[in-house]
Amino acid sequence: MYVIVVGGGRVGYYLAKALLDEGHEVLILEKAAAIASIVSDELGSICVRGDGCEATTLASVGTNRADMLIAVTGDDEDNLVACQVAKHMFNVPRTVARIRNPKNENIFKTLGIDVIVNTTNLILESIEEEVPTHTLTHLRDIRDKGLGIVEVKIPPDAPTIGKPIRELSLPEGSVLSLVIRKARKPIVPSGATILEAEDQIIAVTSHESEEALRAALSGQ
Amino acid sequence: MKVVIMGCGRVGARLASLLEQDGHSVTIIDNDSYSFRRLAPDFKGTALIGNGIDEDVLRSAGIEEADAFIALTQGDNRNVMASQIAKHIFNVPRAVCRIYDPLRRDMYAELGIETISPTTIFAQILREKLESQGD
Amino acid sequence: MEFRNILVPVSGTEVDEEAITLACRLAKKDKAKIMAVYVIPIDRTLPLDTELESEVDKAERILDHMENVAAGENCSLETDLLQARDAAPTIVDEAIQRETDLIVIGTTYQRRFGQFSLGDIIPHVLKHAPCRVILYQQYTP
Repeated sequence: MYVIVVGGGRVGYYLAKALLDEGHEVLILEKAAAIASIVSDELGSICVRGDGCEATTLASVGTNRADMLIAVTGDDEDNLVACQVAKHMFNVPRTVARIRNPKNENIFKTLGIDVIVNTTNLILESIEEEVPTHTLTHLRDIRDKGLGIVEVKIPPDAPTIGKPIRELSLPEGSVLSLVIRKARKPIVPSGATILEAEDQIIAVTSHESEEALRAALSGQ
Repeated sequence: MKVVIMGCGRVGARLASLLEQDGHSVTIIDNDSYSFRRLAPDFKGTALIGNGIDEDVLRSAGIEEADAFIALTQGDNRNVMASQIAKHIFNVPRAVCRIYDPLRRDMYAELGIETISPTTIFAQILREKLESQGD
Repeated sequence: MEFRNILVPVSGTEVDEEAITLACRLAKKDKAKIMAVYVIPIDRTLPLDTELESEVDKAERILDHMENVAAGENCSLETDLLQARDAAPTIVDEAIQRETDLIVIGTTYQRRFGQFSLGDIIPHVLKHAPCRVILYQQYTP
């Protein structure tokens, strides 16, 4: 595969390195002369100095035969334009953009970018997984459906402990899929399942109902 | 007409005054409050500090009720992104955008953004001026 | 000072002959091997393994001519034809792989944008070479 990476900062550099190791043809486009020369010194002649948003630069590096363009500069607007130019002028089949402002995810999707990597949310998600004080943890988004898979941990002092699930007022659009208990096999919950302290409940829920789901399960 | 202008440079500030004189309601956004010194002293529209490619800033500038949006910052990419947000997210009837790079201008014109490239226009004006018999 | 493997990058300019001649004279004493290398640059609009027939023909003519020049100095010359995106790092890699102990590289006086210029290749080779380098500048009065 021929992959063009726009932006030779740390993300672009390590990404290019990984892609090279996988045997792909890689080219980094970097605007700043100093950074471009560092990348060339380290990775060899896979870096061209130039603006990845400019059609002439993209033409000169053979963007029309690229299978993918990945824009990872520090500026969301530059990443958007690089992907749009690649798509509309050079028919690149797949464009990937990194965004810093999470609110831009929707905008980029609307404007036709194929894959959007939201670095801020990625970091937030791993923080949530690491910090056990959060009752509700995002495990994964189900793209384009407005749904997410979440984990809710029943706190040791929750007033819902000892109650069957059917007595909880779960929000509409939330489905409990699995209950994981210490040293026991995971069970698929029914209305009669009785909550225990430290239960980990895996559920599918709409984004809007997340808070209501957490409140219903933890009773807090 | 309600107009939102992004970028309070010389062109943005002047356009704001002209539109106001014609009786339009103008909101101008810039991420540097110092830029607002360029506005005419009697400017009665709204001047707002913020990043024009942020949805929330655009919302507080009244983009949802705007009839026109004009992007005039120094960055082609910022302008083009803001105009697309105005057009495709907020459905502003007219979104006009300055793009210095003529090639990018042509592409976004094809994608349905109203674009102006000062580079092309100014070079043309200069050529006409030089090639006319000089009166 | 002893040289065993001398590498001479050639590019089809008139200085090539003199660079090869110089390499031959340096090689004689230590019976060093001389390798002339020509790099065909491949534009990024094309895959790296594209065969550009006219470029290959041109390169082969140049390398044949270099063999004749070396023969005139009673030296034998090995030649190598490579293709790459950028000539300079390719020359450096070649020197590393062949354990070259001397690169002889020729240049002519040139100007770029009205200023004296060494071009892009020579500074890169000087900076990254794994061995000694002789930069030979042709003099045209």
